[in-house]
Formats: sequence, structure tokens, C-alpha cells
Amino acid sequence: MLEAIIEIIIKTAVIMAFPLGALPLIIHVERRGAAFIQKRVGPNRVGPFGLLQPLADVAKFMFKEEVHPSHVRPFFYSAAPLIALVVALLPLACIPIMGPFQFFDRTVYPEVFRSDMGIFFAFAASALGSYGILLAGWASNNKYTMLGALRACAQMVSYELSLSTAVVAMIFIFGTNDIHLMVDWQTGYWFGFIPKWGVFVQPVAAMLFLVGIFAESNRLPFDLAEGESEIVAGYHLEYSSMKFAIFFMAEYVHMIALSALFIIMFFGGYSVLPGLDLIPLSNPFILPLLQVTSLTIKIALMIWFFVWVRWTFPRFRYDQLMNLGWERLLPLGIVNLIITVLFVYFRNQ
Amino acid sequence: MEFLSFVIFLILATALGLILMFISNLLGQKKKTVRKNDIYESGVNPVGSATRQYDIKFFLTAILFLLFDVEIVFLLPWAIAYNNATNTGFLIAGFVFFMAVLLVGYIFVINSKALKWEE
Repeated sequence: MLEAIIEIIIKTAVIMAFPLGALPLIIHVERRGAAFIQKRVGPNRVGPFGLLQPLADVAKFMFKEEVHPSHVRPFFYSAAPLIALVVALLPLACIPIMGPFQFFDRTVYPEVFRSDMGIFFAFAASALGSYGILLAGWASNNKYTMLGALRACAQMVSYELSLSTAVVAMIFIFGTNDIHLMVDWQTGYWFGFIPKWGVFVQPVAAMLFLVGIFAESNRLPFDLAEGESEIVAGYHLEYSSMKFAIFFMAEYVHMIALSALFIIMFFGGYSVLPGLDLIPLSNPFILPLLQVTSLTIKIALMIWFFVWVRWTFPRFRYDQLMNLGWERLLPLGIVNLIITVLFVYFRNQ
Repeated sequence: MEFLSFVIFLILATALGLILMFISNLLGQKKKTVRKNDIYESGVNPVGSATRQYDIKFFLTAILFLLFDVEIVFLLPWAIAYNNATNTGFLIAGFVFFMAVLLVGYIFVINSKALKWEE
């Protein structure tokens, strides 16, 4: 019993340290990447290449005054950042960073919350992200935060639909809801050189999912929740110091979790990248190591893609955003699902 | 045992959040002024209350999302059941009927302009 609890705590610490440790690096990549795309210099003073800038920012956040205005609803005002962070971390409990491996005499599963329904749990938990935002906007008792929260929620639920249709299509193709079996399905090559990734089976679903995760994590071009020119900062306008930072942490963790889910569904999850699989498996620990490396590289590329898109596309107008979600992507997702199902059915006849 | 791991994860995540919130509460300075206490409205005095009437479209979007999302959630167990079933023709007929109902509902929503945001 004690042994099992220690194992769970170690796994939890690892899976939480993974995104939270990468967070300063991601913020740095985002700022330097923005500077690179806009031909600026970016933060380069603190430490080598400005690498210590995010840590300096965290220290500054810690020493800032926590303004707790009297017009807010106190309990929910304090609870909202906490809910946002916990809910953003929750999907990570079900995401395996490597395959099950032999640790001396027993098989260890890397995910904290081992369940064959893991993928459903991860999607359910990531959909809860709108609660933190809605609570923050409502509890702040401010017109801008209220509008930002309403916009964010309407946007998140709208794109949830097309994202779900993509998930149904992929689960139909895989025929399983176990993440490890999904990754097994995507391991190997077609014709010897094309990786057996889901994106080559379902490109339309992959596109729907990709647009969905941009809208779910409130990133540009879908960051209507924080349209600076209209509603200043959106739902976290009345927050200061670490509470404000927690919203940012939650947003980035949510982004990482959604990227990981995208990679599991469409880019082979932790399956070893082409090229890395040439390394001989002389030691039983090399395969898990390669798997973690592959997943990290894939997530890093996804994060860079987020930054790239952010500085490439302008922001949508709100009615365009809702029209795209409801009148373009949702029918596209449903039609894609119907075609997939009928194609599989008639091929097997 | 699975559930215990979930509970431990939840407790640790909550503890992390609480510690982070406590740190700035402990280290930051505390100096209350009248202006800091104001509702932020771009520097002018706040006008009216925040709990005013908002567009009904937000409410409609949430309700319609609920309907469509529940229908899509029904398809998830169906997609897994299909791969373990022998009589697939029956499942396909059910799927086509289900999607037809969903599409009729969708066309009704679009035609009644429930989701038109521009004036």
C-alpha cells in the first residue's frame, strides 16, 4: 500500500514537473520567437541569451502586491485561479509520456491515473477549463471581465463540438479507447517510410482538431477573450501578482496538455520518431528514454507552431469566429465522420 | 486503487496552486489605497453595474452546445462498439438514422438564425 502511494506521488511529481519546468522555457521561446518573426531583438539582457528573464519575471510576480479589491465576490475570486490551474493539470494525469516498461520484475505504467477510459477523462478534464475562466470573469464583478469570460466560454464550447467530431472519427478508426493501444496502432511505417500516424488517415479530422485546440486554449487567432483593443485583458483584468501569473501558467499547461492529446491522436504519441528508431535497444531503459525524447520533441514543435501562428494570423472578428465554428467546422466534422464510417463499412463488405 | 491515484493527483495539484497563491500573499507588500480598490474601467469612474443584461446569443450558444455535445458523446461508445460487433449493418443503419436526426436539428438551428451574430 505504502509502496503504491509512493509510486503515485513520484509519477505525479514527474508529470507535473514536466510542463511546469518547461514553462519558463516556453515563455522565453515565445518571446524570442515573436522577436525573431518581427525582426526585433527580444529579451536578451538577463542571463545568457536572456534565458533567465522568465525566472526574473516569476520573482517579480512573487514580490508584487496582491490587490484584492472590495467589489469582487471574495470566495470565487480566490477560487478561480486555483480551479483554472488544477483543471489545466488534470488531463496530464491520464497522458502517458512513455510506453509501459519493465522496472526490474514488474510492469510500470507511466500515467498517474491508469484507466482504459483515459482519453475520455483527458478530454472531459480539458473541457472543464471554461469553468476557471467563467468564474474569474463573473467573480471580478467588472464589465470587461464579464464580457471576456462570456466570449471565452461561448468560443470554447463552440469549437469543442468540431473537436469532438474529430475525436469520434479517430476513435472509430483506432477501434479502442486505450491510449497505449492507439500509440501501438500508430507505430511502424507504411511502404517502409511513411510513419503510420493518424494524420495521414484522417487529415480533415487533424485539421479540425488543430483549429479546436487553438480555440480551446484561447490562443491567437482565437484570443477574443483577451482582445486588448476592446476589453483590455479579458477575464483576468482584476487579478494581480501571483494570481495573475497562475492564469498564465494554466493557459500554457492547458496548451501543453492539448498538444499532447493532439500528438497522441494524430502524430503517434510517444512512438519513436523516424530516425531515432535506428538507435539499437541494447538496454531495456533505452526505449522509454527514446519515447520520452520523441514526445518532448513533438510537443516542442507543436509549441513552436503555436508561436508561429500567433504572429502570422490577425485576430478574427467575433461573428466570424462563431460562424467559422458553427457553420463551417461543425458540418465539416459531421460530414467527415459520416464519410469515414460509410467508407470503412463498405470497404469491409 | 485507480481512484486513489486520481485523488492524490488532485490533492497535489491543489496544494501546488495554494502554495503559489500563498507565496505572493506572504512576500508582496500590502498598501491599500482608494484608487487600487476601484473597479477598473480604463481609468474613468465606473458606470453602472457589471451584472447588466448581456446578449441572449451567449445563452443560446451554451444551450445548443449542450444538445449537440450530448449527441456527439453518444457516438463515442458507438465507435468502440462497432469495432467489436458482428452485426455491423444494424449499427450502420442506427448511425445513419442518428446522424439524420442530428442534421435536421442542425438545419433548423441555422435556418432560425439562432447563431447569427452580425446585425
